Amino acid sequence: MAALDLLGGGFLAAFQFWSFMTIVTGLLVGVVAGALPGISFVNAMAMALPFTYVMEPTQSMLFLGGIYVGGVFGGSISAILINVPGTPASLPATWDGYPMTKRGEAKRALTIAVTASATGGLVSALVLAFLSAPFASFALKFSQPEFFAATILGLVSVIAIAKDQPVITMVSLLLGIVVGTVGVDPLYGQARFSFGVPEMESGIRFVVVMIGLFAIGEVVDLLATNRDLRPKKSQGKAIGASFRDILNVKGAIARGTGIGCLIGMIPGAGATPGAVIAYGIEKQVSKRGKDFGTGVEEGLAAPEAAKNATTGAAMVPLLTLGIPGSAATAIMLAAMMLHGVSPGPLLFIMDPTMVYTIFAAMIIANILMIFAGIGVAQLFSTLMRTPPAILAAFIIVLSVVGAFGVRNNIFDVYVCLAFGVLGWGMKRVGFPSAPLVLGVILGPLAERYFLTSMANAQQDWTVFFTRPISGTILGLALVFILWSLSPGIKRLWIARRA
Amino acid sequence: MKTLLNKTTLGATLLMGAMAMGGTAMAQGYPDRPVELIVTFGPGGGADLMGRTMAQLMEGPLGVSIPVSNVGGASGNAGLTQLRTNPADGYTMGTLISLTVASWASGLGDNKPEDFEVIAVVQSSPSFLFVPSSGAHQTAEALFEFARGNPGAITVATSGYGTQDDVTLKLLANAGIQMENVPFQAPAERYASPIGGHTAAIYEEPGDVAQFVQAGQLVPVVVFAAERHPEFPDVPTSAELGIDISGLDNYRTIAVAAGTPADIVAKLSEAVATATASDEWKAFCTKTYSCITPVTGDAAQAMVSDFRDLIAAQLAN
Amino acid sequence: MASAKPNQDLGQMPQAGRGIPPGFLRLLPTLIPLALLVLALVLPGHMFQSDQTASRVGLGPAAWPRAMLMGMAVFAALWIARDIWVLSAAGRKPTLSIPVEDTPYHFGKAIIGLIMIVAYGWLLPKIGFATATAIFILVWCLFGGLRNLLVVVPVTLIGTIALLWLFMGLALMPLPRGAGVFDNFSIWLLRATGIY
Repeated sequence: MAALDLLGGGFLAAFQFWSFMTIVTGLLVGVVAGALPGISFVNAMAMALPFTYVMEPTQSMLFLGGIYVGGVFGGSISAILINVPGTPASLPATWDGYPMTKRGEAKRALTIAVTASATGGLVSALVLAFLSAPFASFALKFSQPEFFAATILGLVSVIAIAKDQPVITMVSLLLGIVVGTVGVDPLYGQARFSFGVPEMESGIRFVVVMIGLFAIGEVVDLLATNRDLRPKKSQGKAIGASFRDILNVKGAIARGTGIGCLIGMIPGAGATPGAVIAYGIEKQVSKRGKDFGTGVEEGLAAPEAAKNATTGAAMVPLLTLGIPGSAATAIMLAAMMLHGVSPGPLLFIMDPTMVYTIFAAMIIANILMIFAGIGVAQLFSTLMRTPPAILAAFIIVLSVVGAFGVRNNIFDVYVCLAFGVLGWGMKRVGFPSAPLVLGVILGPLAERYFLTSMANAQQDWTVFFTRPISGTILGLALVFILWSLSPGIKRLWIARRA
Repeated sequence: MKTLLNKTTLGATLLMGAMAMGGTAMAQGYPDRPVELIVTFGPGGGADLMGRTMAQLMEGPLGVSIPVSNVGGASGNAGLTQLRTNPADGYTMGTLISLTVASWASGLGDNKPEDFEVIAVVQSSPSFLFVPSSGAHQTAEALFEFARGNPGAITVATSGYGTQDDVTLKLLANAGIQMENVPFQAPAERYASPIGGHTAAIYEEPGDVAQFVQAGQLVPVVVFAAERHPEFPDVPTSAELGIDISGLDNYRTIAVAAGTPADIVAKLSEAVATATASDEWKAFCTKTYSCITPVTGDAAQAMVSDFRDLIAAQLAN
Repeated sequence: MASAKPNQDLGQMPQAGRGIPPGFLRLLPTLIPLALLVLALVLPGHMFQSDQTASRVGLGPAAWPRAMLMGMAVFAALWIARDIWVLSAAGRKPTLSIPVEDTPYHFGKAIIGLIMIVAYGWLLPKIGFATATAIFILVWCLFGGLRNLLVVVPVTLIGTIALLWLFMGLALMPLPRGAGVFDNFSIWLLRATGIY
């Protein structure tokens, strides 16, 4: 097989001293940046871009690839340890990972998370290496109606995973979608809900909302409850996960990985919808689905596997078609273009060494991530020993820097702080904030997929159902929502009769 | 509150030191600290590549580092607002591109051509209609012929309504060639749609789809310019096909806030000239099919305001 | 370490369990959906600041937000209806379940914390990142119960310089330098730390 030979050459190139060190450095930068509340992996990659000017093109991709892989995982460290997702994709990790920490099983949760992430990432890197050609042509068959259907599946998952009343979840989700419509609309270039403030025309970015709702609210609660962040030693066993623990969640990891690989190829979607859909499906499939949200291992493993499984998959359209599907891959594209390299079908012919070195690097990075992840997690666990006041102050500063860094705009800091106050209030009255954030993420995607689909189909809405793939996904979404709401409907019916 | 007192004393001491240093923003020492370049779009796009390449090449002539910051949002207006409101001392530059100027015509933002001093127009390229190589119509004649017979049947991927893309399609429609405008906000999805066979054509400048053109996936069929493009001598202009559409080129400029001292503008202008004369820049603009002789001074300024008026007039029709 | 239980010296009455005054508590579950319902009905009228020129084709830029607001209105109304249904008979649980903390929640402390955070963001563009951050970390630590100046002051100074170096020096972020004298001070500091 030519591909195997080429991949072998890629491994040789990636194991050169400087290449290897570049992967390791990128990975560590990614995990640390991801784990810092406020600094997301996209932020970190954008910040790293100037450093790649001085590198070789391949080396710059290894560096950015390392940050990408590490950063997508890193966010879960702070999600699990302090209930503040480091990146939006780690939101589901707060639902079942943090409860485990509360039980004193932080180390076990982290080990499961890193194993699941690495497995998902590794499988997706292998898919990238061996199946990118068929996957790429498959991805091209997808168009806006399919993307819309997949986004609807994501929105439906949000309702399916809710612990609260579906009515409240819907209100929160729709509020989030409305927040997402602020600013210039995707098709007409018209500013909406700007209320005469020019800065509002730039819109409200989901990362900013997430930092505000989760980091600031959590820190204020920390101050108000004098909670101790120091890792608890529950009944003397602060041990990691045993091999058996991992085996127990292998189904969840497999499902999460599959979902992540598929979602990752959809442009615009990326890690967060992948993780949320995986969580939603796992909740329905798992025997312990009812207990999700109380620290169930499957509920942690599935989204973790899914979000890292999107990394390799997202690079399929980038490398094979030259089409970046997400902010992270757009930065990779920029790095390549700045070196005069254009990814796309020609790259496979002109510079296969480079392509296969990137493939090999993605595989290596995901294996190394187990060590990097555990090491950095250890470091952060140690950091938890600093007095909570200092920790809280730095989380706030990092959050503000992170909100600023999304677009280097002070207005985003104000938005972040406003959502911080709102998020704190929501938490106090029990109004769920996670659906709101997911609404801000998925809403703008849904809108633009919907409107472009309609424009491409002479405003005929049946296009979503007549196209086989999009029709199937929408059917799936319908089954999913009915299935997940059925116990609630049943309960309501019984309550009425009683 | 001993700490507070200490802090105040410390702060005051530092401040006095700082004030002694202050007032050095005049031009003789310019630049004596990093000059920030605001790229008005997120990382990875055409404006970003231009800004980053320009920043690298201007560091030499200016002798300071030029960090690039991406300030995306509101079709580039967020970054321009920042450029406008920062002190006009030459320590902030920005990218000002035709897409943003067109957005002013449709009422976006509160920026005006007079708010900025254009240092130089460094890149410009006419737009083309590209069709996928697997498509049914491989020439402009065939495409237009089909569109005449089947109004609205041809779908064209564009960047949005109310843009140059939209204006061009409207002008074509006025000439009897009615094609459906299908706006894609995300550039990557726009490029993928004709390649995947979801739209029949795409309106784009060649630099942004260079790799697809080189790989033979997209075929240019018509250029909207007064003359044929030197890199695509076989592609007819729209005027040759009987519809004269020109003056809607995509251009990218480097600008500073209006009111920047003239000697600083001159210094920056010189640095841009050195940068655009370099081999690296030539390689970059050749690759993106956007080489022009830089337009500077009043001509550059006029280019921006005329463009806004042109788009506004077309949209009002 | 100074972090151990510093709350006794604050004259706050910890409200056991929930952090909301009880009178307000009864009103809240209906006030929230009511406010959101009103919001959903009012907002469509305030969507645009200028005339719609380019929006004559297709669904227009208002279609999606309008549909979503309509959806929000419907679900907010459902929420209110459910709460009324809850009130009509004993033993039914309200739609919104206010979380019960397992530790006492100091409402006043939380409010002061929020004010400090908002003040930090407000001061940021005025006095610059370095000054604002140093003041914020110092004040937050002191308020958070860390009174040992030998710890707080070094943490503040080293932390601020480290953040400055990391984000403005290494990551090249244009964090605000402040206005007027603060700008000059920031530039001086950035030069002194070798970032500029």
